[in-house]
Amino acid sequence: MEEQNEKDQRPKKGFKAWLQKLFAGIPLIGWLFSVFGAVLIEYFLGDLISYYLGLPKIPVLFGFLTVLKKPLLIPGIIGYLILVYGLPILLIAKSLRKPANKLAAFLDKGPVSIGAIIHLGFFYGAMHFWTDLSDYRLLVLKLTMIAIMLTLSINVINGYMGEFSCSHPGFMALGAYGASTITLLLFANDKLFGDALLPVALGFYFFPLALIGGGLIAALGALVIAIPSFRTRGDYLAIISLAFLFIVKSLIENLEFIGGPRGMSSQPNYANLPMVFTVMVLCIWIINNFVRSTMGKALNAVRDNELAAEVMTVNTRKTKIIAFMFAAFWAGVAGGLFAHVLRYVNPGSFGIQRLAEILAMVYFGGLNSVTGSIVGAVSISILSEALRPLEIYKWIIIPLLLILVMLFRPTGLIAFTEFNPKELMKPKKKRIEEQ
Amino acid sequence: MKRLFKGIVWGLIVVLGLSFNAWAFGRKTIVKVGINAPITGDIPKVGEGTKYAARMWLEDINKAGGIEVGGKKYPVELVIEDNESKAESAVKANTKMITEDEVIVIVGPQSSKQAVPAGDVANNYETPMITPWSTNPDSTKDRPFVFRGCFLDPFQGPVLANFITEEFGFTKAAVLYDVASDYPKGLAEFFKIAWEKIHGSGSVVAYESFTTKDADFSSQLSKIRSSGAQVLFTPQYYNEVALIVQQAHELGWTGPIVGSDSWGSAETVTLCGKDCYGLFFSSHYAAAGAKGATKEFIDRYKKTYGYTPDDVAALTWDSLRLVQQAIENSGKVTGNIKKDRMAVRDALAQIKNFNGITGDMTFTEEGDPIKCAVIVKISDTGEYEFYKSVCP
Repeated sequence: MEEQNEKDQRPKKGFKAWLQKLFAGIPLIGWLFSVFGAVLIEYFLGDLISYYLGLPKIPVLFGFLTVLKKPLLIPGIIGYLILVYGLPILLIAKSLRKPANKLAAFLDKGPVSIGAIIHLGFFYGAMHFWTDLSDYRLLVLKLTMIAIMLTLSINVINGYMGEFSCSHPGFMALGAYGASTITLLLFANDKLFGDALLPVALGFYFFPLALIGGGLIAALGALVIAIPSFRTRGDYLAIISLAFLFIVKSLIENLEFIGGPRGMSSQPNYANLPMVFTVMVLCIWIINNFVRSTMGKALNAVRDNELAAEVMTVNTRKTKIIAFMFAAFWAGVAGGLFAHVLRYVNPGSFGIQRLAEILAMVYFGGLNSVTGSIVGAVSISILSEALRPLEIYKWIIIPLLLILVMLFRPTGLIAFTEFNPKELMKPKKKRIEEQ
Repeated sequence: MKRLFKGIVWGLIVVLGLSFNAWAFGRKTIVKVGINAPITGDIPKVGEGTKYAARMWLEDINKAGGIEVGGKKYPVELVIEDNESKAESAVKANTKMITEDEVIVIVGPQSSKQAVPAGDVANNYETPMITPWSTNPDSTKDRPFVFRGCFLDPFQGPVLANFITEEFGFTKAAVLYDVASDYPKGLAEFFKIAWEKIHGSGSVVAYESFTTKDADFSSQLSKIRSSGAQVLFTPQYYNEVALIVQQAHELGWTGPIVGSDSWGSAETVTLCGKDCYGLFFSSHYAAAGAKGATKEFIDRYKKTYGYTPDDVAALTWDSLRLVQQAIENSGKVTGNIKKDRMAVRDALAQIKNFNGITGDMTFTEEGDPIKCAVIVKISDTGEYEFYKSVCP
């Protein structure tokens, strides 16, 4: 806060200050309102606007895909983005500043959870209408949310605990296969396990339990490597966890009853947007609370100096094992969702390439930071999707970006910050008046 | 605020004026065909072949002034998407092409690990899809909208077993395959079943496996050598074939080594060299000594891109020709994408005795073609020579 005040007191000049002035005083809920409004405009008028701009369709993913394939449409896309997103967001946010601040102040008095639920409700509403226009957006969004869960969970190990673990795709595979086995065995008629053992109609309601089951299997797998490997640190743990990844992959490849290398397919279609969104929110909420708890502080202590932590009565062994299993659990849940979004899993999906992706996301976004993980996962997923038309050049641009981030911000974009929902949802006007 | 507003308004006017075809309203009916290919990732050569064959096909269509349906010519557009050789990218690419680009039909993905999940997407959205190269039965099973351009492993296994029995009169065979890869594993099993059906159980005297990316096969090969096998069957991809064949010869293996359609890449001979001369494998088509349309295709491809097309390119070409015929037969392009897709699917299912460069094709109920396999011999100059054709 101190730093913030100092900055604000400096005389403001130029475009940057002007922008800051424009955006100051709008609370989070105001932005959510305006995004919701913009999405509604796209929902009802998007087709019309895109038609008059000469675009073939409503641009998905903000026109990246269209622009990269047909550069002649760039003016049309820019016009569309301004008309549908830029202008409405600015205008609504500006005009609703006062009521939004009042609402934010009102919510600020109540418990954080209620405020958060209302914010998330608006956010979900916006996403619901946004994805309703295109199933492709829906799929990309779902996979992005799963990427957020994976990145967050690996951040617990690689960021908060400061170890370098490579076994995340292995945990994900355990979760994916665990959850798929449960749903296929109990609620689906398929060729691997035969007829459903329980009524198919119940399946959707039991799906969260299947996800938890998958997560628990992954946590069990984590325990198996945690016990022998926490005698070592640093590079050795990295190697052991890498070995674990290969063991899981070969195990699944050789287990014929779960499909072997051919994989498992036709999982029931349970992972819809509300389900994925709810699980992701729970994941962020719980992990955020975990890392801000005494446990999280103990983890940081272990990372910075294990011996000192031990002296300060931290049970380092227990702390490490719990954090490791906790992270594996969420990776397993994410894997379960992944299997049900794609409705197909094969062991080949959980190899080194997946590991590289997850690691890129966490190091791009920033270590030891929930916000960083979300930023990293979203930007890498959306970027790699948006740049797909570039084919091989995509694999030059994204690594180049990573190198640049590592050069200029060695710990990632937003590292070592605390994610505080209460602070985030605060009314903004008051703060300016106070100064 | 005023300045900002003015700026935005002027900006919008400029943008609107510049926007491409802002002056020509209305969207034309274009027949869009989606290609889902592994352009980056593990098997870029496969993606390249797919892309090149598709481009050649589009060239032909454009030369003819579009595709003729019901007496009217429609322009054709190819939507080529890279699936990075990953399952989830193939699913994303298919969803995008179906919901965003509104393609009438999709050709691809090539390998089974992508064709199985992507086929599910195509079937759910009722969009016809042909996978030219996927041999996994699950790709088309219970999916009325998914078709295939090649024969299946349950057919290829017995073809090879019969061929070896007739050609060499052997009774003891050895199999060496990659246990972690879907295709070799499946084919090895089908071959074993077929071989034991002819020669009785226990006639596959060595059934050895390894894992993807292994490079040293000496222990498996020594076992095979001491087992008394007369022939070695190895349904591997080109990079492993070279290693296996060379190492087998170094260990003193003198019998024939037989392979499957995965040997068909141009790279096999480049990597393997003289060691592979004289060996046999089953394939979809043989480049050397081809006649008629097949030769025309090969010559054209070679002239444009500088190398002999492998079976993926040929199968993609056939799949695209099938698509073309189905669209032409569908009677009418209504502009209503759902109706058009349905019409194309029905037309595709009804195609009889399609004359492709990889052989004649008729689709079964499942969407799998009934077509002949070709036994290819690698000649003394390293060319793939037609040896024999085996029909179901």
